[in-house]
Amino acid sequence: MFNKKTQILWVLIFIPVIGFAQKCTLKGMVEDSITGMSLPAVSVQIEGRNGGTTTDNSGFFNLNYSCKDSFFVVFSSIGYESKRLFLLKPKTEFLLIKMNFQASILDDVVVTGKQKTTATQTSQTINTLEITENANENLSNLLAKMSGVATLKNGSGIAKPIVQGLYGNRLSILNNGIAQSGQQWGNDHSPEIDPLVANKITVVKGVGALAYPGVNLGSVILIEPKKIDKETKINGQVVYFFESNGLGNGVNLQLQQYRSGFGWKVNGTAKKSGDKSTPTYFLNNTGNEELNLAVQLEKSFSERLFTDVYFSTFNTNLGILRGSHIGNLTDLETAFSREIPFFTEAKFSYQIDAPKQKVQHHLLKIHSTYFINNQKWLDFTIASQLNNRKEFDVRRSGRTEIPALSLQQFAHFAEAKFQEEFDNNLILKTGFQFNLTDNTNNPETGILPLIPDYLMYESSVYLLLNYPTEKWNFEVGNRYDNVIQNVATISQTLPREILRYDNIFHNYSTTGGVNFHPTEDFSLAYNIGLVTRNPAINELYSNGLHQGVSGIEQGNLNLKSENSFKTTFSINGVIRKKLTFEALFYFQKIKNYILLIPQNEIQLTIRGAFPLFRYEQTDAQIWGSDLMLNYKITNFLNLKITYNLLKGSDLIHDLPLINMPSNQFRSEIQYVIPKWKSFENITISLDNQYVFQQKNILPSQDFVLPPDAYNLLNLQLSTDLKSIKKDVHFFAKAENLLNVTYRDYLNRQRYFADDIGINFIIGCRVKF
Amino acid sequence: MQQCCIKCFIFALLFNQNKKTMQKNLLLIAVLWVSVYFSACVKDPIIPNEEEVITTLRYTLTTDSVGVPIVLSFQDLDGDGGNAPIISGGTLAANTTYTASLELLNEIANPAEDITDEIAAEAEAHQFFFQTNLNGLTVDYDDVDADGKPIGLATKVTTTDAASGTITIILRHEPNKTAANVANGDITNAGGETDIQVTFTVDVQ
Repeated sequence: MFNKKTQILWVLIFIPVIGFAQKCTLKGMVEDSITGMSLPAVSVQIEGRNGGTTTDNSGFFNLNYSCKDSFFVVFSSIGYESKRLFLLKPKTEFLLIKMNFQASILDDVVVTGKQKTTATQTSQTINTLEITENANENLSNLLAKMSGVATLKNGSGIAKPIVQGLYGNRLSILNNGIAQSGQQWGNDHSPEIDPLVANKITVVKGVGALAYPGVNLGSVILIEPKKIDKETKINGQVVYFFESNGLGNGVNLQLQQYRSGFGWKVNGTAKKSGDKSTPTYFLNNTGNEELNLAVQLEKSFSERLFTDVYFSTFNTNLGILRGSHIGNLTDLETAFSREIPFFTEAKFSYQIDAPKQKVQHHLLKIHSTYFINNQKWLDFTIASQLNNRKEFDVRRSGRTEIPALSLQQFAHFAEAKFQEEFDNNLILKTGFQFNLTDNTNNPETGILPLIPDYLMYESSVYLLLNYPTEKWNFEVGNRYDNVIQNVATISQTLPREILRYDNIFHNYSTTGGVNFHPTEDFSLAYNIGLVTRNPAINELYSNGLHQGVSGIEQGNLNLKSENSFKTTFSINGVIRKKLTFEALFYFQKIKNYILLIPQNEIQLTIRGAFPLFRYEQTDAQIWGSDLMLNYKITNFLNLKITYNLLKGSDLIHDLPLINMPSNQFRSEIQYVIPKWKSFENITISLDNQYVFQQKNILPSQDFVLPPDAYNLLNLQLSTDLKSIKKDVHFFAKAENLLNVTYRDYLNRQRYFADDIGINFIIGCRVKF
Repeated sequence: MQQCCIKCFIFALLFNQNKKTMQKNLLLIAVLWVSVYFSACVKDPIIPNEEEVITTLRYTLTTDSVGVPIVLSFQDLDGDGGNAPIISGGTLAANTTYTASLELLNEIANPAEDITDEIAAEAEAHQFFFQTNLNGLTVDYDDVDADGKPIGLATKVTTTDAASGTITIILRHEPNKTAANVANGDITNAGGETDIQVTFTVDVQ
């Protein structure tokens, strides 16, 4: 009986709606997003109207409505996150609604009229609610809540994500389909994206994301803003939070409307926080300010042509711990021997002085989709980005006000895509992409630039084939990129001269994968990929003193492209509707892996002696696994355990790779009270995070040994307060509940100070 | 500019060959498009005016009795990186007191810029420290800032017995001048960041 039903669901179901009838019926089924179990007694209602219906014992429902209507349907059930779905003169004949149990973190509502395609590479998603509940976090710290994602930090405000050991030049971040273009090379450069603009953040682990622009050696982070809800009234939401550590405040406002084929949405965020503190002292000058705005417009010109415009601006001012600003290695060594960093003051302040970073990032994107027919469509995108980065150091004679690093980068992108779904289910995706990057140093710094001025042209073409069947899914893909770099550097010797370089690189990528899902409850996926990455500008040409590595960094003109081979294997399943497991194993070998190698040479400067680091190539290997177990003890009590393991090695020099995430073990227990007075979905969760000491590193590879293992305890509470007109969601968190003193291996600030202590966060979201 | 265009031309030719089989007019369009797309070339960067750089430090020691002053000097004309600096030490007479002065220059600028004035103008935010392994040699401050704390641009160097070793001169920016022993020339609690750290070989005869 059940199997038959599932089959019905998974095979295409299209029952045409009879257009002339006055009364129409919307059919569908509601199931649990994790277990796939059908959900009885779910309330299904048209918003703002009486009546409605509930699902039957098998989770099915029939909802009557007048045919020409467009409306919101609200699905609600005790213990589950409510779903609100807009239906425009419903054309979907069968709705499959997946509802999130409050304990789960899986996908948002999925409306499928078609067979679900299962990817051959594992991906993980953070949904809107989670993004909202972590409104105080920046993008990287938010991503780090996912299993298998770590962050490379410089204090708590500056962080960049690491996925399966890859970051910076090897990991591409796509904001709304556009490869984020900035100064990715810097370990202390955060991605310039406001997560509150996003509706969904996905991390694709494994090779296969070949359709996306930007360099990626195996993983991609996708940040996707929500489509405009098709609601004719102006509606929106406000999110507010306060955090005790750093006395941070933030507000996010979203407004939207969709009327006669035209929709608009405005999303703005303002955040400000002051000095963070460790359990025992303030981290002076670690405040930050952020002001972001995004505008979305959507227009359907006809039944076949849809255009959307997206503009976003991200502006931040980030303070860096004053005591972490050093002049030379002796200063660094002095810092190691201190309990409390220099310049630590007993008073809190919102003031942001040098050292600091001021970064602005603007994006404008115009995108059109043209449906040739139901199975074929074309997609055009043009986009421009402007990235302005200014970094301020403590300098002499009033020059603190002048940036020590000032870069401006324009990136222009154009893309044409074509997709066709053949009758035999085969899906073909192909496209051309062009990207022009124009990087310029502003001479205002009075300092020789670390990164030269350059123009970079990237032209790419790709072809992907996907063949889903009932139990299998096959994927193959190919991509070629032509990269031309036109570089102008300034000589290190006198007289200063301009030296020009031109390079052409060819990158080839091939991937293949298969997914096997014999039953609804079990799936296996295997994915393999060969990717080439050309050396980045900083690896070829950077030259000078780099405080980020406390040494003189020297580019290498002779670098060749990296060749990566990566394979991933995953097993997912549900046992007896109670126990969900996910196991992902990955293995990657990178030939000609580019890394900074300390040279057996000390360079003398007037500031003292600095070790010389040079970009060189080796063969590297990264392997690991991300494991997850979720046990639904009762309908209201859930236990989740994750374990992440990673090992990176330099095979030629027989050394560990630096900056690789430590292994970690996390367990989370969550309890849901469905209803108490006017409060619904009261969720309490306790999360325990144990981070192992990074043992896979030799003392000679760093200035100090990696910090000890640590254990953090986090508590979270959330609830909905529902009345007829209002929908309010409250959340409260206590991070580092036990106020533990610790330092993290991947936080450069560990050289100088402890990590942050207890932090209470309270906030709410009001929908209107 | 020329280099760029040659490259574009080569690229266009390559493109030409790969698509031999294509129709002629299509080829022309492609070549034209490629040449337009790749014709731009990165502009000459503006060489920054490196006014803050300290290329040269001179520590001049004079006595009343001997005519020729002794100059310890560190000179790195092209700044960090590039060519290695030239460092010259010196020989001091035993049992002598020298009047010593520090001079800092930026010789990338033309004419050379005197950085000593910048330090003097921000005396409260700077302090020099003198470290030595020469037995019996002492360096005493001979100047003070507005708060009565030492700067170190002017010092007195006193030698005793014959010895050989080094003198290290350190300039700290934004040190905590009121911290314990900092005013006596002990760097331990000074903090701040190091702007200068140079070491000279010195003989006392």
